[in-house]
Parts: sequence; C-alpha cells; structure tokens
Amino acid sequence: MVAASPSSPPPPGRFAGASGRRLIANAIIAARFLPVWLATGALVVFAAIAAPDALGSTSWSFVLPSATVLALAALGQMLVVMHGGIDLSTPGIISFGGNLIAGVGAGSDHKLPVAILAALGVGVLVGLVNGLLVGVLRLNPLIVTLAVGQIVLAWSSKYSRDVVTNQPNVPGGLASWARDRQLGVSNVFWTGLAITLVLALVIRYTVLGRRFQVVGANPRAAWMTGLHVRTHVVLAYTAAGTLYAVAAVLLAGVSISIDPAFGSAYLLAPIAAVVIAGASLAGGLASATSTWLAALALTLLTQMLVTMGLSAAMQYVVFGIAIIAGMVVSGDRVAAVLGRGLQLVTPPPQKAAGGG
Amino acid sequence: MDGRKESQMRGKRRFVVVLMLAAATAIALVMAASGTAGGRHSATSGPSGVGTGGAMVGSGGGYGETYSAAKGTLTHALFQANLLPANKTATNISLAAYGRSAKTVNYALALKCWKSNGCSTGTGGKLTVAYVEGFGENTYRQMSKMEFILQALTYPQIGKIIYRSAHSDLNQAIADFKSMIAQKVSAIVTYPDFGDAMIPVFQQATKAGIPVSTYAWGYVSGPGTNYTTVVGEDTCKLGQAFANVMNTKVKSGNIAFMGGFPGNPLSAGWQTCEQKALNSSINVVANDPTNWDPSKVQGIVAGILAKTPDLAGLSYEDALFMSQGGYAAYKAANIPYQGVFTYRTDEAGMGCLADQLNDPKLQIYYYSAGNAQIRVALTADMMKLAGAKIPPTIVYPIQLQQQTKRDMCLKGYPATASGTSLIPLSLLHQMYP
Repeated sequence: MVAASPSSPPPPGRFAGASGRRLIANAIIAARFLPVWLATGALVVFAAIAAPDALGSTSWSFVLPSATVLALAALGQMLVVMHGGIDLSTPGIISFGGNLIAGVGAGSDHKLPVAILAALGVGVLVGLVNGLLVGVLRLNPLIVTLAVGQIVLAWSSKYSRDVVTNQPNVPGGLASWARDRQLGVSNVFWTGLAITLVLALVIRYTVLGRRFQVVGANPRAAWMTGLHVRTHVVLAYTAAGTLYAVAAVLLAGVSISIDPAFGSAYLLAPIAAVVIAGASLAGGLASATSTWLAALALTLLTQMLVTMGLSAAMQYVVFGIAIIAGMVVSGDRVAAVLGRGLQLVTPPPQKAAGGG
Repeated sequence: MDGRKESQMRGKRRFVVVLMLAAATAIALVMAASGTAGGRHSATSGPSGVGTGGAMVGSGGGYGETYSAAKGTLTHALFQANLLPANKTATNISLAAYGRSAKTVNYALALKCWKSNGCSTGTGGKLTVAYVEGFGENTYRQMSKMEFILQALTYPQIGKIIYRSAHSDLNQAIADFKSMIAQKVSAIVTYPDFGDAMIPVFQQATKAGIPVSTYAWGYVSGPGTNYTTVVGEDTCKLGQAFANVMNTKVKSGNIAFMGGFPGNPLSAGWQTCEQKALNSSINVVANDPTNWDPSKVQGIVAGILAKTPDLAGLSYEDALFMSQGGYAAYKAANIPYQGVFTYRTDEAGMGCLADQLNDPKLQIYYYSAGNAQIRVALTADMMKLAGAKIPPTIVYPIQLQQQTKRDMCLKGYPATASGTSLIPLSLLHQMYP
C-alpha cells in the first residue's frame, strides 16, 4: 500500500493533517469528561422530580461539605491514578489526621494550628513513604499502600484509644469555621473548591502539571525525553497524602467530634469518583473538575436515596446499580470507543520521506 | 551531552534534598504533636464513683456465691435497686454478680490484663475463662472487657483470662471460638455480633461441657439449649417504653427511628414494638440503619431533616452517636437541636452536650448501656460450672431515665463512657488517661 503524497488532497469525508488530528484529540478528550457532567445533570433532574427535598437548602447544607471532603480525597487518588497507581492508604491517613486534630487540639483553639500541622505532617509523611515504596522500590501499589494504610490505621486506633477517647471533640474554632457560611454555603465547600481550581490550573497550565500529565500518559516516552519518572511518582503519592490530610482536617470540622470509625468510608468511594469522572485506572489523563463533580454526584445520590425513604436493602441496590452504570458510561470507555471509531475514518499520520 | 547529565545530576540532588527536608519536617511535626498530646492530660484519681454503700439487697447463697449486693451498686448500674429480673434464680445470679463487683481486686493487674488482652491471674486457679467477641474496637466493648476482667479477678479459682476480638470477621469469630474449645477453656462469655451464624460453635462448646453466656441482649436462637443463657433487657419492652415517652411528650407529629446493621435483632426488637405502641397521630417518617457508625449517623440524620425539618422525636440505640454525628447534622442544617429523643445507652458525652445546650425543648430519655451485664454472664457461667441450673434468659425490667432528672454527664467520665459502668473511676482514668 502506498502512502498518499503530501500534495494529494484528502479523500472526501476524511479529516486530514495536523488540524484534523487535533480536532479528533480534542473530541476524544471532551468525550472522556463529558459523561459525568451529563450524568450529574440527569441526577439533579431526577432528584427534582422524585425527591425534591434532596435539593432543598437543608440537604445541601450536608451534601456540599460532605462532597467537598470526598472530592479532596478523590483528587488525591486522581493524582495517583494518573500514573497508573492506586492508593488504599486513604482511610488510614484521614483517620489519623482526624484523631490528631482532636488529640493535639485538645479542645483548645490555641492548639489548633499545631494540630492541623500535625495532621498535614502525617499526610505528607505517609504519602512520601508510599511514593518511595512504589516509585523507587517498584512495589505493587495495590498491596503496598494497603499495607501502609493498615499500619497507619493501627497507629491511629492506638492513639485514639490512648488520647482521643477521653476528649473526642475537635477545637470549637474549627467546628464553627466549618459551620460558618459565605454566600449561604459552608466555608468547607469554598476551601475545597479553591483547592480544586488551583490543582486544575496547575495541572493544565504549568510546566510541572504538563510534565505530570506526560509522565502519567506514557512513562517510557517521558523517560526518553529526560523527565524524572520516579520523581513524579513519588510526588504524586506525597501530594495525594497531603490532600487526604486536608480532607481529614475539613471532615473533622464538619463532624465536630472524632469517633473510632472516622475516615473508614474513604477506601473505595474516592476511587469510584475518579473512575466515574473519566480517568483510566491504567493511567493517563484526568480532570480535577470532573472528579469534583463525580464526588458531588455520589454524595447527592446517597442523600437522595435516604431522603426518598427507601429501605436499606433498596438503597444498597440502587447505589450499586448507579455505580455500575457510571462505570459503563465512564469517560474512559467512551473515549476508547470514540477513539477506535475515529481511527477507522482517519488516515494514519504520514511518514516523512526517508523514514527515521 | 555532558551538560545534560550534569543537569540531571543537579536535578537528582535537588530532589533528594527536597525529599529529606519533607521527611524531616513531617517527622518533626508528628513527633511534636505526639509530645504535645502525651503531656496534655493530668491523670486524676479519686473515689471509684461506684456506689457500694447503703443497705444490702438479697440474702442467702449457694454454688460458691452470696446472693446479695449493695443497694448503691444496684442503683448505679440499674438506676433502682429493685429493677431486677422477675425470675428468682436470675435475680440471685444478678445479686451474686453485682455483689462481687464491690470486691477489691488487684487493679494494676486488671489494667495489665486489659492492655495485654489476657493474663495469668497469679492465684494458681485451675479455671480459664474467655471473653470472645466478633467486634471489640470501640469504647463500649473495651469497657465490657475490663468489667469481665474485674469480675474474673474476684474468683480465686480462675487462673487465666483470655480475650479475643474477631475485628468484624465472621470466619475469624468462628475460628476464635473453636480455638477456645480446643484449648478446653472452662467458660466463655461472648457478644455474638454475627447472630445465629454462631450457633454451630455455641453447640460445639455446650457439647464439650463449656458454659457459654452472652450479654447486652446479644441474642442467638436457642438459649438454654444451644448455649447457657442470654443476659439483657427485654427489647420489646424497651420499644414500648420509647413509645410511651413519644405518646406523652410528642403526642402528635413526625418522629424517626434509627437502628444498627440492617436486620439486626436488637433494633428490630424495639422498633417493631415501639411502632405498634405509638399513638395513631404520631407518624414514623423514617427507619434507617446506621451500622452504628457515627459518620453514617450524620448523613442519615441530615437526610431525615431534609425531608422532615420539623422532626418532633427520634428513637435510636446509641446516645453517643447522636451527640456526635446527629448533633453535627443539626448544626450543619442550622436547625435547633430540639425534640424528644429516646436512647438505649447512656454515654456521658450526650449528657454533657445536653447540659451545655441547656435547652428545655431538648428532652432526652435513656436506658443503660449495660456494660456490667457481662459480669452477670460470667457469674452465670461460674455457677453453671458449680452445678447450678441457669435460666435461659436473665432479663431486666425497663425504666427509662430523664436527662434533666438523672444527668448522664458524670464528672470525670470520658465522653464515650457509660455512666452505669461498674469500673472504678480511678481505673477508668488509667484506661483512658
């Protein structure tokens, strides 16, 4: 088969040249992140019809802060997933972070800054350990982060028993800050939104963010261009640990007091949010804003099911079906199907004369 | 090319330096935090806080027990000294158990035993007793463990104490139970978190001549045949008592139920009976399981409030969780924490929150968490070993308490601790410094 010469006009009905490929690439990227926006819109419409109370101000006062906490945990997970990894230490970090807020804070606003720093310190430290084990020692992330998470959880349980049981309340300043509202919405929401936007901008528009994406999309090619792949993997896990710790601080403020099960709900939910948002577990592109939206949709769905008064069994069934449906139409799958479809109608890139 | 290598080397060096700095900072922060936390408490010791004074209730004895207990002890654990089981043998077992709780034991050994999940008592006694449960990782269960140890230490014939938690794993729970049978322990007390799934191992232990008793209405089918006895309150009467409060205080309006794990017999027991006993003008707008998870409680209460912002009352087992997740949901929704609340437990944290809010529209009625019932279960086992005939159920009558008349917020108690526990306060402070 002879490749078309550069001067040959493109066959009718086909895209051609760099602009055509850019158009296709943009279409695939848009298709990856579009489904979660459509699904969230559909969920809101359904809730407005079937459970309007779930969209009332009382409901939002719970949904928005809760979704924000889940979103921050999911954003951390997203950074790891972008590099083809996975992080199961989330509950451990959130649990220990929350316990430190209550234990170090000791109910005193004066000690709150130290408590927050301690929680963040744990997040950074555990994330760094995860990153070194996965990125440098090349251990399986699924197993190693689970193991690290269990160790942190055990440490957290001991700390909780020794220190927090006697005084489980977080400092009043944090609780009242979490309760205070700007423009009618909790400070927790605005804080989470700001972090999400900063993260999205960094990933999209900075050299660091671009390199981060490149390493995630194709580590071998990134290595060949001189990028430090291992460094980026370590950085991803460390940043993830930090985001989990931030989530722990915000969750502590929302919860007012810390209990032994604090953080236990954040093992799988953040991963579900990342995948529904269009990221591939094999690594590659991901969107911070879509991940945030997926976290909001999952939280709203849970709240809607409670508000509808469904039995516990039915709530589990509907939630499970929704997750599966979300996976089926997830952006990653849509993008793959669209990509294959467009390849059929698109000529392969032309080779330069002489090859090489 | 050399320039590129040099640049890479510089990059690597920078990376290593940044890593080391980050690790050092994180470690320093954690250590500083631990140091701060470690020094924040000043352990206070004082009187036990458990009433041992006043007249003695009961008389007589047998099977190595004395059937009498101090009125103060009974009042502390049961609210009133006369709130004893209707069955005479059950009453005698209760009096013997509560009477033993006043005995002074080696508290240092008890603490060591509690921390080590078992110990040798040093008496040289030939008996080994075990507390085996499906889940033990909360304050309630840990306090029950200490009550068990304290009670065991009152028996010189007990030489060894064993504790096992299956960490919510059914297979582990069964394996733990079989391990106890294989070790030929003398008696087992358990909280059967997995319900009737434990029947085969209960039967196996019973066949091997090992008495098995459960507490806090940890009900498994066939008490008296599949196992020795179950200690607890009548959950149906608990539900009726809750309904009585709602009928007289709420009169008409919307209320909600919350329970533990879906389908668990404890929640189903009181909810079915409360529903039947409610006035027709009271609507139960929600009945949601919380898995006894405080974080889930917040979401459930938020959902109920979204649908019913004028909620007039709520019945649930755990007072503490309603002072944590439940209270947080009210605060987030900006709805006053008011209404009629009926609870099965009496953790200090709920009482202290009520005292702090000091709102006459917040009406709380509660029962006892019943940690001390584990003592009765062990004594029932010991009497069984001594040849006594044990009734299949040891059931306590229900009398709800009103927060404004009997404050749950006991001075010196951890927020997560039940005030009706018989653990001396000084020991409790050592458990949770």
